[in-house]
Amino acid sequence: MTKTSQTSNQSALTPLSRSLQVNAHAIHTRFGGSSDLVIRLFRSDAAPERQLALIYIAGIVDADVINDSVLAPLMSMKLPSYMEETENLLIESLRACVVSVGSVKEVSTLEEALQYMADGMCLILADGSPLALLAEAGGGKDRSVDVTQTQTVIRGPQRGFVEDIGTNISIIRRIIRSPNLHVQTHKIGSQTHSNVAVLYLHGVADESVVKEMYRRLAAIDIDGVLESGYIEEFIQDESFTLFPTLMNTERPDTVAAALLEGRVAVMVDGTPIALMAPITFFSFFQSPEDFYQRFDISSFVRVIRYAAYIVSMLLPSLYIAVTTFHQEMLPTTLLISLAAQREGVPFPGLVEALLMETTFEVLREAGLRMPRAIGPAISIVGALVLGQSAVQAGIVSAGMVIIVSFTAISNFVMPEFNMAATSRIIRFGIMLMAGMLGFFGIFISLLFVLVHLASLRSFGVPYMSPIAPTAKGSGLWRDAFIRIPWWAIVMRPMDLKLRNPRRQRSARKPPAQRH
Amino acid sequence: MQQIDKKQLSLLIIVFLIGSTPLFELGIEAKQDAWLAMLIAAGAGMLLTVMYVKLQQRAPNAGLADLLKYHFGRILGGSLATIYAIWFAYESMRNVRDVGELTTMALLGLTPKWIIMFLILLLSAYTISKGIEVFARVVQLLFPLVVLSYSSIILLIFFSGLVKFNQLLPILERGPMPVLKAVPDLVAFPFAQMVIMLVFMHLVKEKKSLERVTYRSQLSVSLFLVLMNALVLCVLGPQLAGVTSLPLLEVVQLVRLANFLERLDIIVTLLLFIGLYVKITTLYFASVFTMIAVTGLSSRNLLFPIGIFIYATSFLEPNNTYHLWIGLEITLKIVPVFQIAFPLLMLVVGIRKRYKPEAAGGGRRAEGVKEK
Repeated sequence: MTKTSQTSNQSALTPLSRSLQVNAHAIHTRFGGSSDLVIRLFRSDAAPERQLALIYIAGIVDADVINDSVLAPLMSMKLPSYMEETENLLIESLRACVVSVGSVKEVSTLEEALQYMADGMCLILADGSPLALLAEAGGGKDRSVDVTQTQTVIRGPQRGFVEDIGTNISIIRRIIRSPNLHVQTHKIGSQTHSNVAVLYLHGVADESVVKEMYRRLAAIDIDGVLESGYIEEFIQDESFTLFPTLMNTERPDTVAAALLEGRVAVMVDGTPIALMAPITFFSFFQSPEDFYQRFDISSFVRVIRYAAYIVSMLLPSLYIAVTTFHQEMLPTTLLISLAAQREGVPFPGLVEALLMETTFEVLREAGLRMPRAIGPAISIVGALVLGQSAVQAGIVSAGMVIIVSFTAISNFVMPEFNMAATSRIIRFGIMLMAGMLGFFGIFISLLFVLVHLASLRSFGVPYMSPIAPTAKGSGLWRDAFIRIPWWAIVMRPMDLKLRNPRRQRSARKPPAQRH
Repeated sequence: MQQIDKKQLSLLIIVFLIGSTPLFELGIEAKQDAWLAMLIAAGAGMLLTVMYVKLQQRAPNAGLADLLKYHFGRILGGSLATIYAIWFAYESMRNVRDVGELTTMALLGLTPKWIIMFLILLLSAYTISKGIEVFARVVQLLFPLVVLSYSSIILLIFFSGLVKFNQLLPILERGPMPVLKAVPDLVAFPFAQMVIMLVFMHLVKEKKSLERVTYRSQLSVSLFLVLMNALVLCVLGPQLAGVTSLPLLEVVQLVRLANFLERLDIIVTLLLFIGLYVKITTLYFASVFTMIAVTGLSSRNLLFPIGIFIYATSFLEPNNTYHLWIGLEITLKIVPVFQIAFPLLMLVVGIRKRYKPEAAGGGRRAEGVKEK
């Protein structure tokens, strides 16, 4: 294993030896003698004087491919006589005539060979040749495509992504059957070498966003990537914000819709969650189902979502502010009934609300983490803690239970979990402010949130567009709050500065023929 | 330098000029003719705005401080700009104090003013640290809220049958003099506050449409303010409107509809805060920008000194009566110097020869080239 002068610029790489024994031993050592490393030595009819070796890692290769397409042809090969003459030509001729696998590679260094093997390729060595051949034989067991678990719809496609990136990309390819769908794969993670794919619709997406995405991905230097969340935290514009500036989904149709709108998607091997950017605040209030159901129903539901978001952020604070500072705002009868309820409650409104909200957050987290078998227990305990018993025990007032429950239910309306989480966290801050300063505190906190929102960007696109700044062109702000009929969605979102902003030539519905 | 677009300037003008104005019954000295005085003042305000726009068009890329420098020379212009910056900070302080006074009056009787004023100023400082682009977006986000609130208030007032047009009669009961006497103060506040926009106009990307956008937005604001003024008069009548401290709040408290829509105070309070927040921040911004142009320091270095200055001075007046007295009797008499005298002087003087290429070539950028 001597280093030649030619490889001085890549000094970390070790060239393969001419001796098969040396190479095989080196590979065995580098894998630490791992038990799943298979080294199969054999001789072929065609060149009986030369020993060959097939090396792969069991479990990440497809055994059928190895047996039928690699090992069998190798052992029974017949080579034209001229090909056997020189040593290097053997590998070349194996590649050309024998190994019947789609993707093959020739390598000359040990490190490359190891890397590709770890990636699921099998290595073919020939004694006396300093080159080695790699054949794609990736396989291994994985989950099959299944119904989405987290983002469900009533009407619309049901399949979700799986952990294997190849499957995921193929699903998108089967939705958007166009050569304009470009996929660029990067390897990220010095240990995991995870595949990270960038998908975009060429000719539609903003090339500068694509370039920026590549630039940010290339700058990542981490040992491993297990989930797209790793990538998200690296490539998002602003770290210290509660608000997500990339959207994630496990739904192929959501990714396809985003690509058609000119956004860029990022998929990470090993997770069913894909990322999409650039994204705006208002996109988080759109469920994929909005675009499958009738537009009038979808518009109504979308407005409901905004209302629910505001309720889940503000309702407890409003309750605190009204009961603590602004009792005169309530109608007298309601005020009296509230006061009667709160008569036996030992805590001030703020403490009562914080207590109940924290309890709910605990219950919610418990519901997520506990083993599924004891799931029903949580609902029983939850009903007791957050319900009639708590009121009867005189710890909280009945009004408070209603407030907390409705706040919680409102939060579940949000189609995107990470956007829903923002209102949960902000809620606590606003509650504190409301407890100290009433409406003024709520107002100040909301303005802080608003200024913060206005300052965010997602891959250069202002987060609050198309409202602030208003996107040029025809009323796309409508799409932020209501869902206009499909035949009227002529333009893609204008704030993305797309190369091709038109989806349709004009807003025309095929006229209905009357007889 | 961050830029804004013409829509953002337009909304900034509208929300800034509305501010907290509709909450008060301005020009009530003219009794039931207050709206008439407003109308005349609005006309005069338009004339002033024409003057400001003309000044701006002489040097499309120059802010107020640069304009002053081009007209009066580096030293005199610079010191005038400093005085302007102090005036902006002072006006900002007045609004901060207003927030403190009004909050304790309308919402939180027992909360100390210092925390209220500190929080609103902190909010403004936070906004300014994010830049004018972000502030313009915030105004864009608040604007629909303002429109919605005012239109619902107006509709509800009409529906509950409170509007009696005969409250506006007789017109010109005691001749035109009381009306004309009320006009100068009304020009000074709110209409001539447009002079502050000289700080922001050069940031607009679409220079060509500046004129149209400015006139159009000021015209709509003026009409809206006159309308609100007349509306409050119609509901309360000149006597009652003259004695209450927050007439619009009074009006809204009269609204009773369907046994349900009774307490709309919250909307009025919201509008009050939005208006005052935008005013404080705009003025604070103007002060910071002007000082940047004068001293060449960065916004980061100026933000806190000016903020602390505003905060500290907001405690100088001992009580609300004193605060109002200074505002109405002293400030309003002095500010025309900034709003009318200096701009008029600039208009007469014209850009001095040695600054001409700079002004035409694009203000600060050209300056940088020359220094090289």
